[in-house]
Amino acid sequence: MRFAPIGTEGQRRLGDAAVLVAGVGALGCSLAQQMARAGVGFIRLADRDFVEPDNLHRQTLFDEDDAATSAPKAVAAAARLRRLNSEARIEPHVAEINAANVAALISGTDLVLDGTDNVETRLLLSDACFSRGIPFVYGGATGSSASAAALVPGETACLRCLIGEPGDTEPGDTCDTAGIIGPAVELAASLQAAEALKWLSGNREAMRRTWITADVWQFALRETKLPPGRSGCPYCGGAGGAQEAASSGRESRARAGWAEPSQTVTGGMDGARLQAHLSEPDRELNHMVATVLCGRGTVQVATGRETAPAHCADRLAGLGCEIVASNAYLVRARTPSGASLAVFGDGRALVRGVETPAEALELCRYYLMDKSP
Amino acid sequence: MRNLMDCRLYVITGESYHPGRKMIEVMEAALAGGADIVQLRDKNATAAELFGKAVELRRLTRRYGALFVVNDDVELALAADADGVHLGQDDMPLAQARHRAGRQLLIGISTHNIEQALAAERGGADYIGVGPVYPTPTKPGRQAVTTAYVAEAAAAINIPFFAIGGISPATAEAVLSAGARRLCAVSAVVGAPDPTGVCIALKRDIERWEARGSMRPESEHGAAAGEAKSDAPATAALTLLLNGKRISTGTATLGELAHSLGLAGRRVMAERDGEAVPRADWDTTRLQAGDRIEFVQFVGGG
Repeated sequence: MRFAPIGTEGQRRLGDAAVLVAGVGALGCSLAQQMARAGVGFIRLADRDFVEPDNLHRQTLFDEDDAATSAPKAVAAAARLRRLNSEARIEPHVAEINAANVAALISGTDLVLDGTDNVETRLLLSDACFSRGIPFVYGGATGSSASAAALVPGETACLRCLIGEPGDTEPGDTCDTAGIIGPAVELAASLQAAEALKWLSGNREAMRRTWITADVWQFALRETKLPPGRSGCPYCGGAGGAQEAASSGRESRARAGWAEPSQTVTGGMDGARLQAHLSEPDRELNHMVATVLCGRGTVQVATGRETAPAHCADRLAGLGCEIVASNAYLVRARTPSGASLAVFGDGRALVRGVETPAEALELCRYYLMDKSP
Repeated sequence: MRNLMDCRLYVITGESYHPGRKMIEVMEAALAGGADIVQLRDKNATAAELFGKAVELRRLTRRYGALFVVNDDVELALAADADGVHLGQDDMPLAQARHRAGRQLLIGISTHNIEQALAAERGGADYIGVGPVYPTPTKPGRQAVTTAYVAEAAAAINIPFFAIGGISPATAEAVLSAGARRLCAVSAVVGAPDPTGVCIALKRDIERWEARGSMRPESEHGAAAGEAKSDAPATAALTLLLNGKRISTGTATLGELAHSLGLAGRRVMAERDGEAVPRADWDTTRLQAGDRIEFVQFVGGG
């Protein structure tokens, strides 16, 4: 390690450090790669999606094979990262980040890197991080714009205070209607990674404590000073969390394993949400929740029922579906009516080719839930 | 280029009112008299003719530093590099227009009652038309809303509103006394032998009422903040830098400013003099002359 501010001691600290990369899309790939190459010892990855061909122009850890096999992003990224740095411990989770699992996902980490693509999940992570004194390093990229900010409990305001309560969701929050170009992603991720390396290597005084917005096309770069925590805010208002942070990392990481997400998942975290109100007597069906994933023509249905992909593939084939891909984590199928289903082992299904969330629920009820089709 | 907040007099084209005179000459006469905004409205022209007129008006308004707005047609407004588009209740919905035009265009909405006005404000319109206050030959058959609606709008609406419909030097007094501080005229200006003179007269009327102190929003803000400024003119607009541009505003807090810009429901971060302001503090953050305010769109992709 020749870069003096990090030095041998900083490098050792990086080796001892643990991070969560939340979301392994475009930002997440770049963040995870930078952490792995920098020698961060433990990298947890969480992502709910699988690799598709149109991801490849910006999601740099994946290749055409991953797209062809519909590999889950967390798993494909982990495999690639292990080839980049065999000493790093990489822990992939094929899961949606939600209220039920967020605590487990951030536990034992020194810092959380934001690679998500929607406001709701970011607010969830920010709340959880600030409650536990863990820095949350926000990043975002859309079109040619990039933004990043290291939000540090005890020092800066939290994300919720800065950008407000959820609810007024507007187009642009979650949809990538403006497209996105690689340089914007890499800039945002690099700004995040730089702050993360400062925090993790013991150079906390060098952190910017600003919110950076940039545009790589019409070149522009602005820095806005972050205010301190807002008194009255349950997340950044108190002086509590910060101390907890100092110790949380090392201790809880020793606790091996990570609790499986609760099976009573009651909500996706972004977009419109629709609780199923089916007339079925089967109570289990009433726990299905549909979430519209913005900008992708996709509805996510949380069925609340774990499923073995191989078993699920047999069932779908028996119902006349064409099996497009099947691996240890998910099965993808096309229904006779032309809709496409991707069913994950944790009980989530991504449905495309339907008009409404209700239709997606109905489809899942028929293909995944009914006892005797 | 004038800021919308500074615009008081809005003039709309109406070629049928000035046979024998060229539209562009009549509009130049209006601009010379102080028209702040010119709207192109022509229900009879072909698309090609409209585009030609739009280009001409764009060039003209630029010369006068005035805003140029296109009626009905978002695509034409974008193609002609207009400053805004104006939509009626039966035109393209506001949300769709905003989606298409983003912040590239100001969007104005015609409203005929307070529900429509509130909906437009909530929906992020930059300004609204309030009318027709009086029966007008421009909109035959439409029920006049009277100055009662002007008073309602003055009490409830925070974005700029322009009273429209039968507005002339003869009616201006009544409309202004009902609470309007912005007027829009068509036939009274473009159908007059001297459009310049009519515009000067209307501007003078508006300014006189401004000087008396407007009923809203300034006086109310002063009261809300408990300020003893009863004998000072409440119109003292603040001059500040908004996203790098000098503007003058009658709003008193960061929250009101955001609201007046249609940003209240948007996912934006606000910054004052280089430091982010938590959203919950917007309404208690009082604006000071010379403040540097930035609203930064939240970047959500990833």
